[in-house]
Amino acid sequence: MALLLWVWLGCTVFVLGCAWRAYRYASAPEHLRWDLYPVAHEPNAYGGSYLEEKDWWTKPRHSSLVREAVFMAEEILLLRGVWTHNRRLWWGSFPFHWGLYLMVAVTFGLAAAALGLGGQPLLLALAVVGGLGGALLAVGSVVLLYLRARDPKLRPYTAPVDLMNLVLLALLGILSALVANGGMEPVAAAVADLAQARPVSASTLLATQMTVASLFLLYLPATRMVHFFSKYFTYHAVRWDDRPREAGSALDRRLRAALDFGVDWSAEHVRTGKTWAEVATTLPEEKSAGE
Amino acid sequence: MEQQRPTGVEQEGLTTTETPAAPKVKAHQTPDDVIHLMEKDQTQDVDTLVPLPFPYEDWKDTPIPTLSDEQRSRFEVGPDGVSALQIPKPATEEEKEERVAQFLAGLAKLLDREDNWTFLQPLMLSLENCVKCQTCNDSCGIYTDSGRAEMYRPTFRGEVLRRIIDRYIKPGGGILPGLRGHDIKVDWNMIVNLAELSYRCTLCRRCAQACPIGVDNGLISREIRKLFSQELGIAMPELHTLGTVKQLKTGSSTGLNPAGVADVIEFAEEDIQEKAGLEVKIPFNKEGAEYLVMHNAGEFLSWPENLQAFVIILEKAGVSWTMASEPVGYDSVNYGLFYDDVQYSRIVLKHYGIAKSLGVKKILEGECGHAHKAAMPVADRLVPRDMFVPTESSLVLLEDIVMNDRIKLDPSRNDFPVTLHDPCNITRSMGIIQPQRNILKKICPQFREMTPHGVDNYCCGGGSGFAVGNSVNFPDWRTRVAGRMKFRQILNAFSDSIGPETNKYVCAPCSNCKGQLRDIIRYYEGWDRCRILYGGLVELIVNAMVDVPEGFLEWEFH
Ligand code: SF4
Ligand code: SF4
Repeated sequence: MALLLWVWLGCTVFVLGCAWRAYRYASAPEHLRWDLYPVAHEPNAYGGSYLEEKDWWTKPRHSSLVREAVFMAEEILLLRGVWTHNRRLWWGSFPFHWGLYLMVAVTFGLAAAALGLGGQPLLLALAVVGGLGGALLAVGSVVLLYLRARDPKLRPYTAPVDLMNLVLLALLGILSALVANGGMEPVAAAVADLAQARPVSASTLLATQMTVASLFLLYLPATRMVHFFSKYFTYHAVRWDDRPREAGSALDRRLRAALDFGVDWSAEHVRTGKTWAEVATTLPEEKSAGE
Repeated sequence: MEQQRPTGVEQEGLTTTETPAAPKVKAHQTPDDVIHLMEKDQTQDVDTLVPLPFPYEDWKDTPIPTLSDEQRSRFEVGPDGVSALQIPKPATEEEKEERVAQFLAGLAKLLDREDNWTFLQPLMLSLENCVKCQTCNDSCGIYTDSGRAEMYRPTFRGEVLRRIIDRYIKPGGGILPGLRGHDIKVDWNMIVNLAELSYRCTLCRRCAQACPIGVDNGLISREIRKLFSQELGIAMPELHTLGTVKQLKTGSSTGLNPAGVADVIEFAEEDIQEKAGLEVKIPFNKEGAEYLVMHNAGEFLSWPENLQAFVIILEKAGVSWTMASEPVGYDSVNYGLFYDDVQYSRIVLKHYGIAKSLGVKKILEGECGHAHKAAMPVADRLVPRDMFVPTESSLVLLEDIVMNDRIKLDPSRNDFPVTLHDPCNITRSMGIIQPQRNILKKICPQFREMTPHGVDNYCCGGGSGFAVGNSVNFPDWRTRVAGRMKFRQILNAFSDSIGPETNKYVCAPCSNCKGQLRDIIRYYEGWDRCRILYGGLVELIVNAMVDVPEGFLEWEFH
């Protein structure tokens, strides 16, 4: 029963925590444009934008979702940026991330198996993928742990909790590989128990693996590991957000509304207690309309 | 250590200038070591700077001057012994505590959705998602060329700010701060250092480009500057009192009032007559013109040939254009972009208000990078649509004029080595890359690229207002540390003809970049030793114009 509650708690906090973080980002006010080139959906491979065109505001735009997807796929699947700029770290980061990807894939696979899909072939495939995922996660975590503890550029920026996190993930990787090595039938059965809110029957090994995995899920939303979804915002809402403002659009309405926000900044040249519109249209020594 | 010659290398489609290992690299071992940097005097040692390539093997940097006792008694310095801000020393301990409390209040406002709606989302994303992988580090020319001084690491400022937020602003900051990596004590010394260090980053965003997560350490520097300006009234004097405040008061950060502009214009008309044989009346306040042309007024005083070249090209190409005589309307500068959203907004709205009242069809941004970014992408989200006037880059119009043969050109007049410096604001922040290259390829037979270039360029080291920072020992730091990478790039670009027998030209279509190029070429004696000159793009175009007598470009360093 305790295991059932613990896993449920982990999953619930994970979902709600991530939803809350995503909501905070998504609901932040519309900001001033801060795009950074190259912008992946632009057609020019050298990083050019539509601002290179004469009378750009009259021209059709050639934005491509495919180019964005290719960029993102390279970034997510190959860790291209780290490979290009930080090769030493890549040798730890690549197995670490792939370990996590495979374990997420296995989790979905187990959900399918719990629904009675896939049969034995699926369970066999999950055992292979789970074993590989666990091993990669363990190897990646140990390499990262070593680098974080030793590398002079990483060490000073690493807190004790970061090291504890990597130790936990190394342990999770090892436990997951061992569990997979024993076959996935008992895991699928445990997942079915969890899904139906029944007390979970699991071996000590499996119960330990599930306990550690849930602990990870429990604190993940409070960490910077949420970059698995926040990266969507850093790219789409900032770096690649090159939408021109069109009169009457939702963007236009939100930006107009922002001009009514209050300004509390205290420096003398700012006129504290006014709205942004008032502050931006008058100098400290002037009076705004109606004053 | 043996001198190495940096080479351009292709790396997965991204070209970089290799940075030779500097003689001394200070290694810091623990998070506490890093924070203690904020407590010590880490005066930048010129012996740690990256060596320069051929023919500068014998180059010895002179040390960055330290402040006099008298200066030190009046204002604070950063952890590197440099003062960009001249922050007055508080008279009492109480005053220091008050300022620290103000800082923390400002930090809360920086994270508030109304007080900082302008940049809250990107700031939050950058503060909360950095995984401290240091992938961005070597993209920063200031960091690498300083000899990798810890305090210039792109992540350093953000790390300090993050720890302060986690400790003082977020709920539960006092719970296990050591374990969670934010055991930090904020005091006056720390906030002084943070303020100063926000002015050791040119906001060039090259590090942001390399970050796999999409974190922007340049933006973090900018937001730190903003907090100090909008809450504590602390900013680089050349940007604030001598910059935006002066511009809003007199009409221009140069101090030029409308009468002064009239004098400049009269002089320009005479010069155009003399140099180009063209009798022209520079149009002002011409209602309904196609373009309102906006220049950085610094050009009028420091590089009047740039204004003149624009006039010649626009007139010869038959463009309908005008300038504005109303204060602020004749100066495209908007230093608010670098440190203060309030000042930024005031200037942007003035610019657009003037364009609207003149009824022009478009605004044309002259050769000034930050003015481009301030008036185009960033302003697009600020200016209400009923005030909006479409804005275009002069590089785009010039490309149209040159490539479509709207003026007659003889490229053989520009038959000397030319390289292009890409202003960060125009390239990395706006994606305007190709027009200037198309022009140069057409009119300069010996054009060659720097490595790297385009969106991957390095900042000149004068970005974000540094080029106008001329007080105390800041310019000495700016030339030796911030400008070093650019000077290395220039030497490499001209390595086939580096001797003083060949005149060479660095084309920089940006006023602030030109200011910085002037200062680094002067400091490194690039004119005397190598005959390296710098200037804008329009000067090269006019130099090649068949209708203009030869010799528009004067090979004199100024
Ligand atoms: S800014 Fe980006 S690249 Fe730099 S340390 Fe943070 S996550 Fe890594
Ligand atoms: S924005 Fe530019 S100067 Fe600032 S830290 Fe990044 S790379 Fe360095």
